[in-house]
Amino acid sequence: MALCLAAPSRIDTAKTVGNPAAPVTIELFSDFQCPACRGLHMSLLPSIMRDYVATGKAYLVYKEFPLMQHTHAREAATYAVAAARVGKYEQVADALFQNQQHWEADGKVFETVATALTPAEQKKVQALVKDPGVLNEVAQDVQEGLEQSVNQTPTLMIIRGTKKYPLAGVPNYSLLQALLNDLSK
Amino acid sequence: MICRSNILRIAWLVVRLAVGGVLVYAAWTKLREPWMLFAISIDAYHVLPQWAVTLVARTLPWVELMVGLLLLAGRWMRISTVAASALLTLFFTLMVRSYARGEGIDCGCFGPGEAISPITLLRDGLLLGGSLLLTAKAFWKPRKPGPSAIENVAQSSYRPA
Repeated sequence: MALCLAAPSRIDTAKTVGNPAAPVTIELFSDFQCPACRGLHMSLLPSIMRDYVATGKAYLVYKEFPLMQHTHAREAATYAVAAARVGKYEQVADALFQNQQHWEADGKVFETVATALTPAEQKKVQALVKDPGVLNEVAQDVQEGLEQSVNQTPTLMIIRGTKKYPLAGVPNYSLLQALLNDLSK
Repeated sequence: MICRSNILRIAWLVVRLAVGGVLVYAAWTKLREPWMLFAISIDAYHVLPQWAVTLVARTLPWVELMVGLLLLAGRWMRISTVAASALLTLFFTLMVRSYARGEGIDCGCFGPGEAISPITLLRDGLLLGGSLLLTAKAFWKPRKPGPSAIENVAQSSYRPA
C-alpha cells in the first residue's frame, strides 16, 4: 500500500478550498480572536485565493488553533467547525473576522455567527456545537498544530511533497508569491 | 599532568569549534531550503527595504558559511572572529529588539519555525559572548620581556665605580 507522506493526517473537506491534487497545500492555523489572523484573513488570504487556490496551484486547508489567552476563541472555532458541517465555514469565518472587535468585547459569538446562516442552519449549528465530534475536531486541529511546532497564530504551513515550511505571522505577499511560485513549478 | 595552559588551549578550541560549527549549521539550514523562506524571516524584522531583504537572503548564508569554515579551520583568525562577532552582534540586537517589542516573529536562525524566545536569546547571547572572547584573543598579544627590556634592567642595576 502506498503511503503518501505529504498528505495531512486528517482533513475535514468542508474546511478546504481548491484542488486536493494541487502541487502545494497550505494549512492555515488560525485563531478567530487574534488580530494578526484577522489581518491575514482580510488582506492576504483573498490574494492567495485568487492567485493560487483558484488557479489550481494550491490547496487551502483551514485549521483551528485557538490560543489560551483568547477567552472566546475556542467557542468561535467550535461554531466555525459546526458551520462547516452545514457548508458555511468560509461565510462564518468571514463574519467572525469582520466583527472580531464586537464579539470579542461582549462575548456574544453566536450573534455574529448567526448573521452568516439561515434560521434553519442556525438551529443545526447550535445543536452541532455540542456534538463531541465537533469539539474533538477543534482539539485535533490544535494537537496537529502542536505536533508541527505551531506556537503562534497565524501560521501558514506550506507543504510541498514531504517538506513542510511553517511561516508564522503575516508574510510579505511578494515574498510569499516568490516562494509559492517556486514550489508550485 | 594537564597544566593550566593546556586546559585553556582546549577551552579556546571548544569555543572556536562551537561558534564555527553553529555558523556552518545555520548556513546549511538556510542554503538547503528556498531562499525566499529566509527572506520572509528577514522581512519580519522590518528593518530592510525589500530589495535589500532579497539581497541579504541570497548572500548572508554564504557569508555565514565562509566565516564558520574559517573559524573551524582556525585560519585568518582576526578577520573571521571580527566577522563572526559583527554578524552575531547584529543578529542578537535585532532579536532583542523584536522580543522587547513583542513582535512574536520567527528568529530565522536555523530556517523557519523557531519563534524568538528567552531560550533563543540565551543561545545567541552565549554564542556572541564566545565570539567576542575569540575576537579579543585573536588581537591580544602577551607581553614578553624582550632583549631591550633585559638590557634596561641590566643598565639600571650597573653602577660603575
